[in-house]
Amino acid sequence: MLNAAVSPPKIMPSLMGPVLPPKRAAELPGIASLEVKELFPDIPDRIYLQGEDLSKIRTATEKALADVDMGMIKPGDSVNLLCSEHGFSILEGEAYAEMLRTIKDVVRDRTRCENIRLRFCVGGALIEAREMIPYFGLAEAFEGRVAGVGPFDRGVPIETEIGTLYGLAKVYDADWIIHAHYDDPRETYFHRLVGRSLKAFTMSYARLETRSVYHMNFGSRSSNVVPRAIFESPFVQEKFAFTCFQVTSPAGIIGVDADNDHQQLDRRLMVNTLKSYGKLLRLFAEIDECIAVLDAGRWPWYLHAGGLTSGNLLKGPTDYLDLEVGSPRKKYPSTLNPAVKALVVNHSWRELFVDLASWYPTIVTDPEIAKGLPQRVVRNAFIAESLEKAMEHAYEVGKTDKAILFDGSYGAINLTPPLGEYLLEKAPAVSRKVDGELLPMWLRQRGIDPEKAY
Amino acid sequence: MRIRWRTLRGSKINMKKVYLLSKVDEDKCVGDRFCENVCPTRAIRMVNKKAVVDETKCAGCLHCLDACGEGAIMVLERQAPLVLGIDTTEIDPAEIGDLCNRANLDPEERICVCMDVRAGEVAGAILQGARSPEEVSLLTGIRTSCGMWCMAPVQRLLQAHGDAKKPDKGYRWYPIETGVWDIPEEVARKYPEYRLEEDSAQFREGTLENLVSIFKAKS
Repeated sequence: MLNAAVSPPKIMPSLMGPVLPPKRAAELPGIASLEVKELFPDIPDRIYLQGEDLSKIRTATEKALADVDMGMIKPGDSVNLLCSEHGFSILEGEAYAEMLRTIKDVVRDRTRCENIRLRFCVGGALIEAREMIPYFGLAEAFEGRVAGVGPFDRGVPIETEIGTLYGLAKVYDADWIIHAHYDDPRETYFHRLVGRSLKAFTMSYARLETRSVYHMNFGSRSSNVVPRAIFESPFVQEKFAFTCFQVTSPAGIIGVDADNDHQQLDRRLMVNTLKSYGKLLRLFAEIDECIAVLDAGRWPWYLHAGGLTSGNLLKGPTDYLDLEVGSPRKKYPSTLNPAVKALVVNHSWRELFVDLASWYPTIVTDPEIAKGLPQRVVRNAFIAESLEKAMEHAYEVGKTDKAILFDGSYGAINLTPPLGEYLLEKAPAVSRKVDGELLPMWLRQRGIDPEKAY
Repeated sequence: MRIRWRTLRGSKINMKKVYLLSKVDEDKCVGDRFCENVCPTRAIRMVNKKAVVDETKCAGCLHCLDACGEGAIMVLERQAPLVLGIDTTEIDPAEIGDLCNRANLDPEERICVCMDVRAGEVAGAILQGARSPEEVSLLTGIRTSCGMWCMAPVQRLLQAHGDAKKPDKGYRWYPIETGVWDIPEEVARKYPEYRLEEDSAQFREGTLENLVSIFKAKS
């Protein structure tokens, strides 16, 4: 059943993107919403959606940390609590911020260690930290012990079993590190969900050269050895205290998990992600034609619709969770999804557009929005007078009345009714295939007995 | 893998026009060298403990603006754009193809997704005399945005040409030595879930698609 459009998470103003749009796409007449649990009732229930009671996150974090050993941290020690920018994009980021505050409070209370520093690791530029630290009140929460860390900052060599790699000096300049992250399955086409929970060790916590090694010197499956090698190195193991993750499903945040044994935690997260998101991922792959509307506050690949990022649609229908899918080099055909007939940009951060605007007919909803986008995007785009006109143009150019809004929503997908009805029709068969065939295969490929994963 | 260099999309030069220029506010500059270390073209040097920008080298990447905690970097609009780009038609295609082959890259492979630079352009820059990542950047525009994709192939091409020197000081860049092609067997066996042997075999056959390959252009 389709409902009225849900209000998407609000967009944080940022110099990384254009001005805020005068209207969100969900406010347009004719936009409906489809609850993810209407599609797949077995998606785990949430404990939190944006704007709701944050005490549930605090309680869940405290409960997750209750069995974690913190005995290695002494009162006079220093601790770096490592967080990453993308966590603040999930459901407006307040839940992630609350998890971080709670970790700090629990560690301080249990260890009497006062020197707990938040290391805010950015995706690309330190401006992300300069904007988000005050926005989320992190300097106050950590009594000023907060620092942004970026990929161009001074590095530190890490000797690993695959060679010397470079972490960021400010990440590792404490006696102990705590890996505080989130399980958002963005970029399944990159990490293939094998060791995804360690990826930050080769991205957020690493110099740009090591990020490039991950991107360019390996295939999508084998690249995951890079963060694993960093994590398993004596240098990191000597500092590693524990991991704490915000756990999600397409319905929203479902809890918090923590462990001293990172690999055990990784397996729990992997099973949850495959079970929670696998069906929706395969359903996205069934979309035969649609307009993709970018309307949230991050880079174009990382905007959520029903908890799944836009990249998971744009990257195409291939089942990247199937580890038998290798990495054959193909000459020049793009693997961008041909089912996406046009892109409408109402709001998105400006970088990482790559080929999107030259591959897809791209419509920007407002001249003021266009001013905040890269020239190479604007050059290839149609600049509309308004959101309404942009959508009209997109429907005409794309020759479809199906549209999906990547507006940051969890719990429901904002879309046009024809797409909603299409997804409802396809969902039962997708569910049967995932339950009967794909999920057991995905689990077995990752060394997990399907019988024990339920 | 043997790949012959053909053309760069039929054009002589894949030009990048730089419209911005960094300028240092001397009153605010404290000489901490952060800007110097993040500059991909070595356009910033310290003179009398103050940063100075060489206008002929500034690629407008704004890394210095981002790195400076003192607010000492101003961004100006250039009177005329600085053009970065290399005419690869003046270079023997066989030489470009051979250098790319040695680095195990396809000359037409886009190795910088931000600035749209192909492996063949970087090979051409090296064959025209670039001997460091900074010099490659000045000739091609590569590394003047995120740097998180292009740094490994730039170093692979420099190493294949025999130019594997390390940066003289600071932390402008770090050497890269790791790739799927030289993962020890015991490591591959230790982590079977990463399919290292399969990907390594694909690499040797020249059929491995690295993570940037998904962005290959339509034409």
